[in-house]
Amino acid sequence: MSKAEKFSVVGKRVQRVEGFDKVTGDSKFIADIHLPGMLTGRILRSPYPHARIRAIDTSKAEKLRGVRAVVTAEDTLKRPWGAFFADQYILSVGKTRYVGEEVAAVAAIDPDIAEEALDLIEVDWEPLAGVFDAEEAMLDGAPLVHDDKPNNIAMHLDLERGNIAQAFADSDIIVEDTFTSMPQWHCSIETIGSVVEYAPNGKYTIYMNTQTLFNARYRIATALGVPETDVRIIQSAVGGGFGGKSCDDNNALVCAVLARKAGKPVRVINTREEEFLAGCRPRVFMKINVKLGFKKDGRIRAKELKVIADNGAYSAKAPAITGVAAMRHDTCYKYSDVKLEAKLIYTNKIPTGAFRGFGNPSAEWAVEQAIDLGAHALGIDPLEIARINAAETGYVSPHGNRVTSCELKQCLDMAERMIDWQAKRAAKAPNTGLGLACTVHVSGKRHFGDYDGSSATIKINEDGKALILSGEGECGQGVHTAMCQIAAEELGVPVEDVEISRADTDLTTFCLGAFASRLTYVSGNAVKNAATNVKQQLFAQAAEMLEANAADLISRDGRIFVKGAEGKSVTVADVARARLFRHDGAPIVGSGSFDADSVLPDSTRFGNESGAYNYGVQAAQVHVDPQTGEVKVLQMVVASDCGTVIYPIGAEGQVEGGLAQGIGYALTEGLQFDEGRPLNPNFSDYRIPSMRDMPPLQHAFADSYEPTGPFGAKGLGELNMDPTAAVINNAIFDAVGVRVKTLPITPEKILRALKEMG
Amino acid sequence: MKKLLTLSVNGQDYEVEVEANRLLLQVLRDTLDLTGTKEGCSIGVCGACSVIIDGRLVSSCLTLAAGCEGKKIETIEGLAKDGKLHPLQQAFIEYGGFQCGICTPGQIMAAKALLDENAKPSEAEVKEWMSGNLCRCTGYYKILESVMAVVDGKTDPDYAFRKRETTAKIQSLDVYKPVAKTS
Repeated sequence: MSKAEKFSVVGKRVQRVEGFDKVTGDSKFIADIHLPGMLTGRILRSPYPHARIRAIDTSKAEKLRGVRAVVTAEDTLKRPWGAFFADQYILSVGKTRYVGEEVAAVAAIDPDIAEEALDLIEVDWEPLAGVFDAEEAMLDGAPLVHDDKPNNIAMHLDLERGNIAQAFADSDIIVEDTFTSMPQWHCSIETIGSVVEYAPNGKYTIYMNTQTLFNARYRIATALGVPETDVRIIQSAVGGGFGGKSCDDNNALVCAVLARKAGKPVRVINTREEEFLAGCRPRVFMKINVKLGFKKDGRIRAKELKVIADNGAYSAKAPAITGVAAMRHDTCYKYSDVKLEAKLIYTNKIPTGAFRGFGNPSAEWAVEQAIDLGAHALGIDPLEIARINAAETGYVSPHGNRVTSCELKQCLDMAERMIDWQAKRAAKAPNTGLGLACTVHVSGKRHFGDYDGSSATIKINEDGKALILSGEGECGQGVHTAMCQIAAEELGVPVEDVEISRADTDLTTFCLGAFASRLTYVSGNAVKNAATNVKQQLFAQAAEMLEANAADLISRDGRIFVKGAEGKSVTVADVARARLFRHDGAPIVGSGSFDADSVLPDSTRFGNESGAYNYGVQAAQVHVDPQTGEVKVLQMVVASDCGTVIYPIGAEGQVEGGLAQGIGYALTEGLQFDEGRPLNPNFSDYRIPSMRDMPPLQHAFADSYEPTGPFGAKGLGELNMDPTAAVINNAIFDAVGVRVKTLPITPEKILRALKEMG
Repeated sequence: MKKLLTLSVNGQDYEVEVEANRLLLQVLRDTLDLTGTKEGCSIGVCGACSVIIDGRLVSSCLTLAAGCEGKKIETIEGLAKDGKLHPLQQAFIEYGGFQCGICTPGQIMAAKALLDENAKPSEAEVKEWMSGNLCRCTGYYKILESVMAVVDGKTDPDYAFRKRETTAKIQSLDVYKPVAKTS
């Protein structure tokens, strides 16, 4: 029996707390925020992938009527910043390293004047030879993107757990292949933007559509050289994040420098083209060589991975992402001996970075196909191979990831049933095939200092409604609704009686923000603990009113009463007011925090990276037209283990939305570069899926309970982006016997592969 | 060159003075402060800026404001009447047809344009029609479900947004009045 059945709010199909605002167009996104006297900022971007700046003359731009500020690196501290390596500047210092890099900026009274002023800035460029391919960039004598990075190596990981040579020697068969993934853009329908107000006392108030407020505050304060307290970040409604709005770019910083110089509020919003060139940091593209050794019975005996990852010109989060690509998937199956080598290489292209999946989609694209290769080589059903090797509760990966709940096998059973795997395999039609892949993700990741926690405050208003103050933020995924449900469940009040504030670094306690599928799990625990704290205060006051012991009280549906004597009760509103309106009165307010039982990985990257691991299985049936190479996904099924489902509409949305991005990644998305210049930076030529591209889908959640999660919940957001490309390619292989090795899987590539096969 | 125009938006006439090259999207958002209509791609591909003009669905990012004089413009702001949501708006909440909500006004206007013309489209017709409105969050399944819920009359007739007969409501209008020990 599901443990979720005993909950009164958790797991119920409640409405999104922001619903009304979203459907009426009243939700205030960054472009909807107007401050009195606000100017429009525009950014001059590098037209060259690699060039020295000999001089910049801004005098003509400054003289243009309506221009209020023109800024260059001279208006900044020229202090490098970055999430993991400090290697990028607010505005180019001395040289630019990719097309789109921020060189100068203007603020003017209207957008047309700002645009005109950009044309008046004169830059004396000296174009330099660039490097555009990670493998070429590593060669001796290749141009250096950063002078202090020999061979353009940003990071090099080389690890072995167990004895890899022995493990391959013990293997009955070995499969090996190389798979290349592509850059993928977040393509949030809202681009990155900021509105900054600078007060003469030195304080910056920044409205941002960021998904990580406090990380943004830290980075912005560092780059501007001011204390964190002098930077206040207020989250606007966020029109899609997916990792792209985690403040790895310069938008807010340029806006802040303009606002300071102009002495007026400034708004800088990326155009769609700017978003592609230099806004959100696209998925790190990787070339992954994977080698797997299997025993005859299907057990994986050895795994070796070689990753070459394209960092682009600056690092953002690519160092962590490359590590995840090399290691995370080892938590999906029971491995003993693994070896990995990962190189992250600077090139003169857009910096790559965090995008839903965080390295895992590239890894699963490669490894889940290698497992399929192994299944075919052994003559074992791919579903069976997965079942033989699937991780289970209690598994500890070679890198120290400790699995406290895992229903991967249950997910395999569910996927098998939903797609009718056995019957479809038995009755295989020509050019039609089945494929599947397993997936794993974290629920939070310990990599910002030794902290993977969250905190929240709850106050009870005088009308009895609870207000959650959280700095985690809402980036569209619906986490605020899940937080309200968790608080309501713990407090024993209806979910309609819980509201949640917008995130604001001046008003809420420290929170890391939305990444690593962490919020339901990590922040959910913090909210639950805050609610427990507040409930104790409510009960102490209610005990006085009911002349009972606090230990004997329970709350349900907004009333507090003595267990077994439900006739006598007080409402939460009564209690809150009774506590407040009297001598020594005080509001009922409480905080809660939580830090996951994870470990900051050591110098060999060993250590349990997350408090909980979420699992899933996707399977697809596809048809391939051998005349055109066109792939039609006939059906997809998804089974996910995210522990207890807190907010079903939101959870289903995460599955469906992740899958859509996975399908885009598999079949259509990819930016073409010519010598570092993006060729298709728009929605017409960079094609994301539309409604008609989505296949018939069935999905289900495993009956699962994570013991360390709030009411048994764990993460979900990224899980279903990760395996889709491999699933579809495995199905294509089953259909027509060819395997395209580079993303996206286009009809042209399939036709070429079919021709080569003969 | 500036031009004086009278625009009819959601049944109300607005007199505006705008540059001849101003787009309807810009005038709605920047001049009339009707910011429910969103800009997504700026090239008429994503549908976030969808509005209805004389019954036809158009991308306001490709439409000159000057060409809209004498026409009936409908935007997302005109759908809810007296605090009561349009059935499509209600369905999008009930069936989860949005996540971040940036494309939602466009999605709802697109669906409205379809249903105004054909109240009973098939699911295939809805899919085809709605494919001009991109969404990066939902994977479209719940958008389709929301629209079909209106087509099939499956929305809740007694719908109220997050409202209930609250047990938490203040029992006395005098908030400062001391609360009795028990009730």
